[in-house]
Amino acid sequence: MVVRQYQQELEYLERLSPYCWKIKKGFQPNMNVEGIFYVNQTLEKLMFEELKNACRPGMAGGFLPGVKQIANVAALPGIVGRSIGLPDVHSGYGFAIGNMAAFDMNNPESIVSPGGVGFDINCGVRLLRTSLMESDVLPIKEQLAQSLFDHIPVGVGSKGIIPMNAKDLEEALEMGMDWSLREGYIWAEDKEHCEEYGRMLNADPSKVSTRAKKRGLPQLGTLGAGNHYAEIQVVEEIFDKWAAGKMGIEEKGQVCVMIHSGSRGFGHQVATDALVQMEKAMKRDDIETNDRQLACARINSQEGQDYLKAMAAAANFAWVNRSSMTFLCRQAFAKQFGLAPDDLDMHVIYDVSHNIAKVEEHIVDGVPKTLLVHRKGSTRAFPPHHPLIPVDYQLTGQPVLIGGTMGTCSYVLTGTEQGMMETFGSTCHGAGRALSRAKSRRNLDYTDVLRKLESTGITIRVASPKLVMEEAPESYKNVTDVVDTCHAAGISKKCIKLRPIAVIKG
Amino acid sequence: MSHKRFLNTLDYPQADSVNLNDEKTFRSVIVWLEENRIKGAPQAVLAKLKDLDSKDWHQVYSKYKDDLGCPVLESKLEELQWILGYAVQIEHLKNKNVYIKHAVENLQKENAPNVIAENPLDNLDFRSQEFADGIKELANALNTVVHPDPLITLKAVRKVICQRLAPDCVENPDKYVVKGTPFPYQDSDLGFDLKDPVLNQAAKILRMIYIQDLRNLQTKANELIVAVQSVTANPKTDTKLGKVGF
Amino acid sequence: MEESFSQEELVLPQCKYEYLDHTADVQLHSWGDSLKEAFEQCGIAMFGYMTELPSVEIKQSSEIEATGHDLESLLFHFLDELLFLFSAEPFLICSKVTITQFVCEGDEFKITCKCYGEEFTLGKHPQGTEVKAITYSAMQIINEPSQNKFEVYVIIDI
Repeated sequence: MVVRQYQQELEYLERLSPYCWKIKKGFQPNMNVEGIFYVNQTLEKLMFEELKNACRPGMAGGFLPGVKQIANVAALPGIVGRSIGLPDVHSGYGFAIGNMAAFDMNNPESIVSPGGVGFDINCGVRLLRTSLMESDVLPIKEQLAQSLFDHIPVGVGSKGIIPMNAKDLEEALEMGMDWSLREGYIWAEDKEHCEEYGRMLNADPSKVSTRAKKRGLPQLGTLGAGNHYAEIQVVEEIFDKWAAGKMGIEEKGQVCVMIHSGSRGFGHQVATDALVQMEKAMKRDDIETNDRQLACARINSQEGQDYLKAMAAAANFAWVNRSSMTFLCRQAFAKQFGLAPDDLDMHVIYDVSHNIAKVEEHIVDGVPKTLLVHRKGSTRAFPPHHPLIPVDYQLTGQPVLIGGTMGTCSYVLTGTEQGMMETFGSTCHGAGRALSRAKSRRNLDYTDVLRKLESTGITIRVASPKLVMEEAPESYKNVTDVVDTCHAAGISKKCIKLRPIAVIKG
Repeated sequence: MSHKRFLNTLDYPQADSVNLNDEKTFRSVIVWLEENRIKGAPQAVLAKLKDLDSKDWHQVYSKYKDDLGCPVLESKLEELQWILGYAVQIEHLKNKNVYIKHAVENLQKENAPNVIAENPLDNLDFRSQEFADGIKELANALNTVVHPDPLITLKAVRKVICQRLAPDCVENPDKYVVKGTPFPYQDSDLGFDLKDPVLNQAAKILRMIYIQDLRNLQTKANELIVAVQSVTANPKTDTKLGKVGF
Repeated sequence: MEESFSQEELVLPQCKYEYLDHTADVQLHSWGDSLKEAFEQCGIAMFGYMTELPSVEIKQSSEIEATGHDLESLLFHFLDELLFLFSAEPFLICSKVTITQFVCEGDEFKITCKCYGEEFTLGKHPQGTEVKAITYSAMQIINEPSQNKFEVYVIIDI
């Protein structure tokens, strides 16, 4: 690896606009395309500090800074356009988290990389609306939070409460949300408001190891731990009245429920298995990458195809998982309010995936191309009139759900034409870590964190106190900075801001 | 077997027990059909057909069916099938007005008094000035924009009447009138630019109509899913399987 | 079924591991008087992140096997097997792992390991953090018998 001083490194970075920087070729070896990243002043500082720290002597063998990882991705075979870092980018395994990259399906050299999807395949966010107002919920907020906690299994080692056997799992893996529909856990309209209509058609459960299925079966319908949560939120601000109206959000104070979860142990194992396979494929096919963690395989190779089919099965698992929790959520609300979920208008506004690879059509240098788009910690944000977004959002653009961290605000954005052109219709996914977990645990006391949340009127039910410190808002980049950067850069547009009033966590 | 059903329809005696593979029966069926139902052959031909045991019978039959217009078919039974169909058609045309009452689309209206066999609209001259003026007046009364072609205006008028003026619509307008916040589509992004404000406006309207079509399709898809769910759905939870809330 | 264990089996090893800083994930660092011990300690370190180990009693045991083509892949598969033991039947959370066979030369490296603990039970075992996966990222294995230095560094994705 090239060893350079921080000042020398800076020569490869060029500011394009107040919100956007270019990473020139040569920053890392063999870059096929340039890199780009979106930041505002605050995030810029964090980004450059990370790079500066990595340039200090004695840092060899440590983790690469996000900006270096973006550049390494730009060196992967078959990449088109640019390797893109979104404002919440931070260093991850192989690809940075908050990194998106597209590969030309018609180039036989092009690759697919499990590291470009992440371990938690189809981790994503779902937002349900209700017809309730904050004043309806406040008097029974504690009971409601407890009721949610009593319905949704959370935290490490928890098991699902929806009866499933091995055959059910096979079917769910193949059918995705169609399985949930068939079994009656969700509503027909839920499917309509879901990326890919809640089912990837190329899923092939036979490409998934028994180990993954064994890990997945007990965990279906569980929230998980880490940064996953279910939150009761209220509408704090409406930026785009018309788009919000299309989503059924009419006024401030309206109550929503946000669910952030993924494919659990199932997806983690699919990713682990694929990484092992791809190490071998890389040796065989002589694929060279700058970083050993960027394990990948040619899209057309057996390993590449097998991964895409197994990944699709994991994506289906995640949709069934979020659907099961939607069902449990509706039950919890129905019990507390003594009303049927449809009377509470508990419709799914949208469901996004922020760890996934998909085949999409994009215009590259004026020519339509079929691309394999990797989004890791990045959300699809398609513009108005795009054929792949639901009919209800044809005029507004696709809703983009940005989950905040425990106790901070969340946002709904909409996709824009500019985002389609600049970032292959992609935007940020959340806050992105700023402090390491160990540092959070050292610096923060969990009772303090809880007290602080309580003083802001947030009820919390959490399985692991240790996690409270790791996931405290202080450990993350400010989600408002992240979202404002996306808005200012034009790659997506602010629509609704949501404030949590109760949090359920692992 | 459809031969027998046709024979029954045509009131052939002992239609149920008839054995058409028997040459003699076949010949007598043909004669009966011509004599009682089709009634198209000259007397001389009929007489020759009636001679069931004649060695020329086949020649006569062959010419007879060709005259009826029967196409070249593989077997005699298929020819008979065609002739039966021909006879049924003749019968049907004779009693058209009787049968039309029983047609599926008319069954619901059966209870309505005075079924008028002849549709007075059939006698209208759609190209007359009188017709055009009448449609225009109707459209104006319904607040519908008039198209230069009165037939297109008529289609629009029909839509308004069917969708908004049916008895149930008039009584329960809430069920039919679409609610929701109007969307300022004029300000919305079209996604392309035709460099002509009029064309852009037209394109936007087309987009709206397209979106509405999509919406209707999606709603039908949802209705279908719900119908299937009523058969397949059986959601369960079992809290013994995992521990929740503690 | 309650297994019975010898006094020796019930003795817990000393703690020879720590958790190091990493932005999104956590790095396990363990050491010992042999490479085998460093591996065992690394396994315990991973379980220690999932719950409070003092809450774990030794009530049952399972045997696992892991293979690899070099030390790194051996360690990777060893930890992956332990994670699997926890994530699916028998849902075992371990406070002690004893490697009974440790082959780290030749074509196939191999570990056989006995894992002691009990089924993870909500209410009894405080919930820590979920480990998603083991990674090769910045993995280091220090194997210097001449200096009696045996250490491993592994980043686990959480």
